[in-house]
Amino acid sequence: MTGFFAPYGDYGSEWLPLLVKATFNTAALSVSAFALALVLGLLLSLCQRSPFAVLRRFAAVYVTVVRGVPLLAVLFLLYFGLPGIGIVFDAFGAAVLGLALCFAAQVAELLRAGLKAIPAGQAEAALAVGFTPAQSFRLIILPQVARVVLSPMIVTFVSLLKDSSLASLITVDELALTGRAMATEYFLPLQIYVAVGVCYFAIAWPFSALSRRLAVPAR
Amino acid sequence: MADLNLVTSVAQGLFAGVGVTVLVTVASLAVAVMLGFALALVRQFAGIRLLNLAIDAYCEILCNVPALTHLFILYFGLASLGIRLTSMAAAVLGLGLIGTAITCAILRAGFAALPHGQAEAALAAGLTPLQVISDILTPQAMRIALPGLGNYAVQLLKDTSVVSAIAAPEIMFFARSMVTSSFQTTLIYSMAAALYLLLSLPLMQATRMLERRYGRLKG
Repeated sequence: MTGFFAPYGDYGSEWLPLLVKATFNTAALSVSAFALALVLGLLLSLCQRSPFAVLRRFAAVYVTVVRGVPLLAVLFLLYFGLPGIGIVFDAFGAAVLGLALCFAAQVAELLRAGLKAIPAGQAEAALAVGFTPAQSFRLIILPQVARVVLSPMIVTFVSLLKDSSLASLITVDELALTGRAMATEYFLPLQIYVAVGVCYFAIAWPFSALSRRLAVPAR
Repeated sequence: MADLNLVTSVAQGLFAGVGVTVLVTVASLAVAVMLGFALALVRQFAGIRLLNLAIDAYCEILCNVPALTHLFILYFGLASLGIRLTSMAAAVLGLGLIGTAITCAILRAGFAALPHGQAEAALAAGLTPLQVISDILTPQAMRIALPGLGNYAVQLLKDTSVVSAIAAPEIMFFARSMVTSSFQTTLIYSMAAALYLLLSLPLMQATRMLERRYGRLKG
């Protein structure tokens, strides 16, 4: 067992700065992608509730397609595929867009479930006491939806963070790719991939623990 | 425009990977559901503190680190210790062990959702604790867990695309190797995405049917 840990003593000081830098890249990638996913998910959720049948249909098809297509295929299509028809992304941009497109569907579904969890009587009561529909949504509905949706939203962020490792396969310089490069250089794949796992765990676990604390018990 | 010959040859190339994709999905699902069920039972009913702690730690570690990193540890990491897994074995083991943590959480939530009165009434009626678990609690918990397990199965099918990174010859692997020889990136990756969609749509439909058939608890 000491044999397993020995390389950390020998190379730890060389590895640590590389891993820390890569961890920050992974965090930057995940946060950018999640921010875009929130915006796209909100738009998608508006489509789902739109009075226009075309938009509702589009949202339904979008969610189904995204549920059925792996992120890796989307990333490859964006990064390697689209240049074939003249659309070129840099690796980081393709990764942010691909992650956001896939996770927007999850965000929209969460928002839908959240809105469904608020009884219709809430909006009716707000209107009855003289709120405008906009006020009723902003002051009565939204705060309650936010409370219900917060915990699963954090879970979604953790999924996105983990899936951001796939960006390494389209050459984004993040944690998983740094791990591969280091494994080739030092030829200590076990120790290095375990260290990479620890780095992911260090960012993901606090969010997982937070989501459990914020979870609203099902009624 | 892509001509028909090209489309059929790409389709044939991709179909070569369908068998492995389905095999990895089914095998990992079997591992995940069996082990996850066992862990959920132990965690929920055995009441051995050390064991509970170990199961919780297992779930946290498996759920907060990307699949890609786990696969690299199993495939490249263990090889450096002299334990050489084939890419298929590493794929099934990796996805199966991650899935164990996921299904364990889903099933535990199923057991936790049952009212205490169920077990109490069954014990009072003279059933042994083992009978209570197997005849009264498990069937109900399974029904509650069904939508979650269905979602997991669809997610798993998509996640098998990741095992192309350790050279398991599934759909994405053939897509990537065809790209290096034909450069038809746009066509190949869109067709790969469509093929995954084609595989996951029936799975989604099946889970919806199962949910409708068994998902409702009859009051």
